[in-house]
Amino acid sequence: MLYALMGLGLSLITGVLNIPNFAHGALFAVGAYFLFSAIHAVGNFWLALVLAPVGVALLGLAIEYAGIRPLYAAGHDYQLLFTFGLSLILSEGIIVVWGPIGFSQLPPPLLRGGFDLGFIFYPKYRLFVMVMAGLLVLATWLFLEKTRYGAIMRAGIESKEMVSLLGIDVHRLFTAAFALGAYLAGIAGALTAPIRGLSPSMGVDMLGIAFVVVALGGLGNLLGAIAAGLIIGVAQAVVALYWTEASVAVIFAIMAAILLVRPQGLFGIR
Amino acid sequence: MALLRTESLTKAFGALTAVNGVTLEVQAGTLHSIIGPNGAGKTTLFNLLTGQFPPTSGRIVFDGRDITGTPAHRIAHLGLARSFQRTNVFPALSILDNVWIAAFARGRSWRGLVWRRSDGYAEVTERARVALADVGLADKADQPAREISHGEQRQLELAIALAAAPRVLLLDEPAAGLSPDETQKMVALVRGLKGRYTIVLIEHKMDIIMGVSDRVSVMHFGSLIAEGTPAEIQRNPEVRRAYLGGMVAE
Amino acid sequence: MSRAWLAVLAAAVLLPMAVRHALATEIWIFAIFGLGLNLLLGYTGLLSFGQSTFFGAAAYVAGYLLKHYETNVFAALGVGIVVGAVSAALVGYLCVRRSGLYFIMLTFALNQMFYFIAYQWTTVTGGEDGMPGIGRPALLGVDFRNPLAYYVFVAALFLLSLWIMQRIVESPLGKILQAIRENDVRAEAVGYDVPRFKLLAFVIGGAFSGLAGVLYSMLFGIVPLEAIGFVFSGNVLFATLIGGSGSFYGPIIGSFVFIWLSESVSVVWERWPLLLGVAFVIVVLFFRGGCVEAWARFWSWRERRRALAGIAQ
Repeated sequence: MLYALMGLGLSLITGVLNIPNFAHGALFAVGAYFLFSAIHAVGNFWLALVLAPVGVALLGLAIEYAGIRPLYAAGHDYQLLFTFGLSLILSEGIIVVWGPIGFSQLPPPLLRGGFDLGFIFYPKYRLFVMVMAGLLVLATWLFLEKTRYGAIMRAGIESKEMVSLLGIDVHRLFTAAFALGAYLAGIAGALTAPIRGLSPSMGVDMLGIAFVVVALGGLGNLLGAIAAGLIIGVAQAVVALYWTEASVAVIFAIMAAILLVRPQGLFGIR
Repeated sequence: MALLRTESLTKAFGALTAVNGVTLEVQAGTLHSIIGPNGAGKTTLFNLLTGQFPPTSGRIVFDGRDITGTPAHRIAHLGLARSFQRTNVFPALSILDNVWIAAFARGRSWRGLVWRRSDGYAEVTERARVALADVGLADKADQPAREISHGEQRQLELAIALAAAPRVLLLDEPAAGLSPDETQKMVALVRGLKGRYTIVLIEHKMDIIMGVSDRVSVMHFGSLIAEGTPAEIQRNPEVRRAYLGGMVAE
Repeated sequence: MSRAWLAVLAAAVLLPMAVRHALATEIWIFAIFGLGLNLLLGYTGLLSFGQSTFFGAAAYVAGYLLKHYETNVFAALGVGIVVGAVSAALVGYLCVRRSGLYFIMLTFALNQMFYFIAYQWTTVTGGEDGMPGIGRPALLGVDFRNPLAYYVFVAALFLLSLWIMQRIVESPLGKILQAIRENDVRAEAVGYDVPRFKLLAFVIGGAFSGLAGVLYSMLFGIVPLEAIGFVFSGNVLFATLIGGSGSFYGPIIGSFVFIWLSESVSVVWERWPLLLGVAFVIVVLFFRGGCVEAWARFWSWRERRRALAGIAQ
């Protein structure tokens, strides 16, 4: 479900803005660290969980406004280099601010412990994350499907000209889409923190998976991203049961295999 | 004998049938025009003939050989060369290189692909220069394609098709976007090529068609509705009623 | 011989007198790596964000042979080139039919796949600790443990690579690749199998990356995990772009600038990748077009100032 969240955000950004966002993983990591600091600042997990992704969204807002906006006319090569440079700055910035050694973050007291299902022990917090991520995906989906702003964003993926013809400021649309994508990455990071702990490299690991999700889902295909995220998540969990070390590499191998058979991705049309 | 033939060729994009059961014969050595308003499916027909995408159903036969579904680059090697309606050249390359690329593709001298320097292919360069001379661009050979005028780019477009030494030349509105003066020049050019090549010409400007064509086929909503000599087409009441009147007025 | 070649030769001779031998060697290795990318990026118009796949795979395989079997240097280089080319063929096969963002993402994702294989396969690659203990066997009686001897060897291989690349670029293949960059639809229409040519460019680029990878592993005696990571792919991309991807000699200049830059910022601060990231961002925002263009702009500015000075007098 977390993969779906990441993939959805990235798919939104690549689809609407038509840029390769290599800072998406770093935004994910920043989300986790923001949560960590917010908990220390406000002393409440729930409030922190609200604040952290908003902080990431604001960061995304600033990044789009200051950095990406001048680059729409430039080629993908410079856009790539910019987001890549940004990713270096953010992940190294994390080390500067929070140190190179990771932290572990406990879930809130309410969600500690787990359910004993007889054959397997399932932590409460994981269940919470699953439900929470599911709700977020659903909420994002409803936002895109049912609201006016969502409709504009989906139209932006199809045709920028059309959107600007409708008298909508495309730049504001881009900023909003990037901020929303950043928000989704941030909250995915925040939710992950109590499960896997925090480490400066957590973003890069996630980045590759997010791209796999988008590639399999089809560029700009939001529903595809959600579905591909679920498939990848389940596939990884299954592989991890038998061959833990290979579980990450297997994700990519699955992608390569699928692309051999269906070069346009699972749900791609182009 | 027909050099190029289609049998109930059909292409559907979802619900839209762009080309619908087109059966067409192009005789060797003739100039065969296909006319019809924008959106009649003419360019789609060309895209099918040159293998840009495969037809939904039907067959394409070139020189007695079924080429249905053959990829574009192979069809080019068989000797079907096309020009594009929207100028489609290699902008940063020099005019000569634009044409050289096409001449080399036809030459199939792949052996020295990597090791020989490209200016070592005298015969390819020569063929490219001839093609440029044919369209009147010989003196601009060293300029980059993006720096010449639109009219000259249309000429270059034609030269790229010629350099491939084709057996059939498919010209997609060679005069698109040209001024009346430039159009006259282009018509003279096409007329000069007549007889040397089998030509299939797409146009919707009537004056161009009627002067140069041996045969004319009329396309409407994806189907052929009439075929004949230019005079027959002009007299055909159905064609006139359908839309020719409107086009003449234009 | 052209002036550019003379300049490169002069640089190859003078460089070891100016900087540490290891650093000078690294510059030429990186330049070979950049040449390979530039064939894709500058000539074919393919933005590959996975070049370290070929670099790293070759470094691991050749490094393994050098470490455990003390292979002959030429055999190691040959194996590395083949590994680079074959891995590029595999990646290219999956990618060349895609374009734009999809293409970039795929090259990156496949890069990550190789990265995680190297990361997890610790018995061979050493995982995060890297694969140390790679020697530099002597060749024809020349001891490559001497840094200067190894420098000369690498510089000579670089010049050879440059010459080969120039032949490729000036051959019909070079022209066809440029035509594909300019307009792949038309290239297909005049009779070129575009995906196959893109794949060929990939394989050649991969071979150059492979060569660079082996030389790199012999230079440092270790294959670090980063050698196959995405940051490395980004670095070579940066070097090629900053040198000016449109020009043949761009990657050389880019390699100089990049290695010099990373060397100098790494002295300043332990967290130098951050400064490097800042440099990337600054270059992208203010110096697009790379050094070649910046230099041209500087010259025209100077010319104008001179002209103005002349008028003032």
